[in-house]
Amino acid sequence: MLSTSLSNIWLIIKREYLERVRQRSFIVLTVLLPAIVGGAFFIPAKLSSMKSSKTQHLVVVTSDLKFGEIVREQLLSSAQADDDKAGADQRKEDKDDKDLDDDNKSSNNYTIDVDSTAGDAAALQNRVSSGDIDGYLWLSDDAVKARKVKYEGRESSGFMEKSWLSGQLDRAILLRELGQRGVSGDQADVLLKPVKLEIIQLKGGHETKANDKGMFFAILIMVMLLYMAVIFYGVSVMRAVLEEKNSRVMEVLLSSATSTELMAGKLIGVGAVGLTQIGIWITMASVYALPALAASASAGEIHIAPLTLVAFALFFLLGYLLYSSVYAAVGAVITSEQEGQQLQFIILLPLILAVFMMGPVMRAPDSPIAMWSSMVPFFSPILMYVRIAIQPPPAWQIALSLLLLVATIAAILVLCARIYRIGILMYGKRPTLPEIVKWLKYANR
Amino acid sequence: MNTVELNKICKNYDEFVAVDHLSLVIQPGEVYGLLGPNGAGKTSTLRMMIGITVPDSGVVSMFGETFRRAHMQRLGYLPEERGLYKKMKVLEQLVFLGQLKGMSAHDATERSLEWCERLGLKEWTDKKVEELSKGMQQKAQFIGAVVHDPQFVVMDEPFSGLDPASAVVLKDAFLELKKAGKTLLFSTHRMDTAERLCDSICLINHGRAVLEGDLGKIRAGYGKRNVQMKYEGDARFLQDAKLVQSFNDYGNYVEVRLAAGADPQDLLKAATSCARLSKFELMEPSLEEIFIEAVGKANA
Repeated sequence: MLSTSLSNIWLIIKREYLERVRQRSFIVLTVLLPAIVGGAFFIPAKLSSMKSSKTQHLVVVTSDLKFGEIVREQLLSSAQADDDKAGADQRKEDKDDKDLDDDNKSSNNYTIDVDSTAGDAAALQNRVSSGDIDGYLWLSDDAVKARKVKYEGRESSGFMEKSWLSGQLDRAILLRELGQRGVSGDQADVLLKPVKLEIIQLKGGHETKANDKGMFFAILIMVMLLYMAVIFYGVSVMRAVLEEKNSRVMEVLLSSATSTELMAGKLIGVGAVGLTQIGIWITMASVYALPALAASASAGEIHIAPLTLVAFALFFLLGYLLYSSVYAAVGAVITSEQEGQQLQFIILLPLILAVFMMGPVMRAPDSPIAMWSSMVPFFSPILMYVRIAIQPPPAWQIALSLLLLVATIAAILVLCARIYRIGILMYGKRPTLPEIVKWLKYANR
Repeated sequence: MNTVELNKICKNYDEFVAVDHLSLVIQPGEVYGLLGPNGAGKTSTLRMMIGITVPDSGVVSMFGETFRRAHMQRLGYLPEERGLYKKMKVLEQLVFLGQLKGMSAHDATERSLEWCERLGLKEWTDKKVEELSKGMQQKAQFIGAVVHDPQFVVMDEPFSGLDPASAVVLKDAFLELKKAGKTLLFSTHRMDTAERLCDSICLINHGRAVLEGDLGKIRAGYGKRNVQMKYEGDARFLQDAKLVQSFNDYGNYVEVRLAAGADPQDLLKAATSCARLSKFELMEPSLEEIFIEAVGKANA
């Protein structure tokens, strides 16, 4: 009996899976989406890198040539450092030598002139508009004293550029002031060295490097994947159930298999299609991003605990199954896809709520609110996972939330199988809620 | 051991009574017709019989036992509307259905191909179902119902929407199954089809059995009260209300329904007295007539 049941479920999964994976639309979407997404990220990045590879010619206008030199050096070394950060680590080490070796006045991206005799701004403005220079910094004594300087350039500088520029100017002015007070350049560097804060988290007496980046990364990916999977594939589960209902195939199938077997097979089959697609995408993405990830992982910037990875797989799968089963139930009730679209938002509501609750839970992962909300099956895929990623709760809590999750999925499946079986006899009109409740009551006879 | 026994099964949908204390018995090896007008409860009855739905009350027995899951593997079902995956290839679909009934993939493939050959679908096994004509889809559906060599085949309106040629092919396949000792049940609202194919019937109306049993016996029970005759000359005898209840002139011949209690011999005498007869034949009533009469009685 059980073996018949399992073999039937397996057959239905297999059919559902193969049928969908072989469809042209599946193949097209699998290939096309990464191309579009990749394009959306890659092309602007490429464009901006093309722009920045052009050498910018700036003029620093100041009556104090020495200060002008400080500004120039500051800008050049900072631009160089930025460059290095993006490039290979190797270059970081011999940065200082290179700066010295650099021919007089230019780095990769900037050519900077210091000018004390530029005279009036109008002449400089002309040079900018004629394309001779890209912009100039007007550092008159008054302006510096008031800490209110002017940059005029051909291209209005972006946010990043502006904050970078003002940061470098701050530092240059500080260096000058320090120099005037008799502090040498080396001493000034020591004084101005920024603080690097390392946070150590104590877990059960062990020191672990707290890893905000890794944790944040792990949580973000989970939430995004779950969202994407539910939105993309939940609907296809719903559609699959609806299709079968309308095509009357299930009448034939029900003469061979039970409605619960049918539902389970459909859910897992269509679900597996979604997982396959996501799997392919993740593989593609990681082939592209792996070098960078590996670099930051080895540099200790990203560190994800093995428990978090296990929780990721488990809660993602169960969360996906749970929401898909709700979609399946909706598919069993509705008579057309339009009706389903109206219900979509309601299905997603708990998921959205869970995302809203992430903040409070992350701030206080051990609070009663965090504990209870991470037990609710519709929240736990996100909230329990967040808790595990931040600070693993007691094992019994994890176990309980998993148990509740699995039990809910099973219960929804059974309910949905009942609705489905009765629903086949009712065509053309959507059942009212009281009717559905009635079906659930007598469906098992 | 009866193939199927329904004992007072009932099914209500909300207020609507679909099947009302229906009982019937289907013997092994017979062709059984479930007859009745549209909406009489035929499909509901079939569904309960094979476990797609469960009766509100009453007992369904199959192969001598109370119906249970395992019986599903020994029966085949052809639903009223086409129930095949449109995008799936014919052979794959048939193999899938066979496997669901517990066949191995190999056996299911072999049997499906055999049947496709027999019903002239051989060239279409690799086509998607949606590319097939309606008649061919129905044939594929039929193969899906019998591919696992079931002892009992249940068909809901198998002939509806079929062209005459396809109907003949399907009918021949039926008879072949019957010869192989299978039990066949089909529902139809067409009395003439049932009349030609069935050994036994159950006539239902408003969810209730109006008549049930061996077709020959049912007919015999209604007696020979129709006369088909050909004549030349005076037709005065047709107006005799003591002898003739009604008549229908078809041009070539006249069909006469005898008045209650009238002796056909008296009609013969009356006719020969005023006309020349070339044919005088006592007929069994048609199923249609029986049905109309039975329903009339039940409603009275």
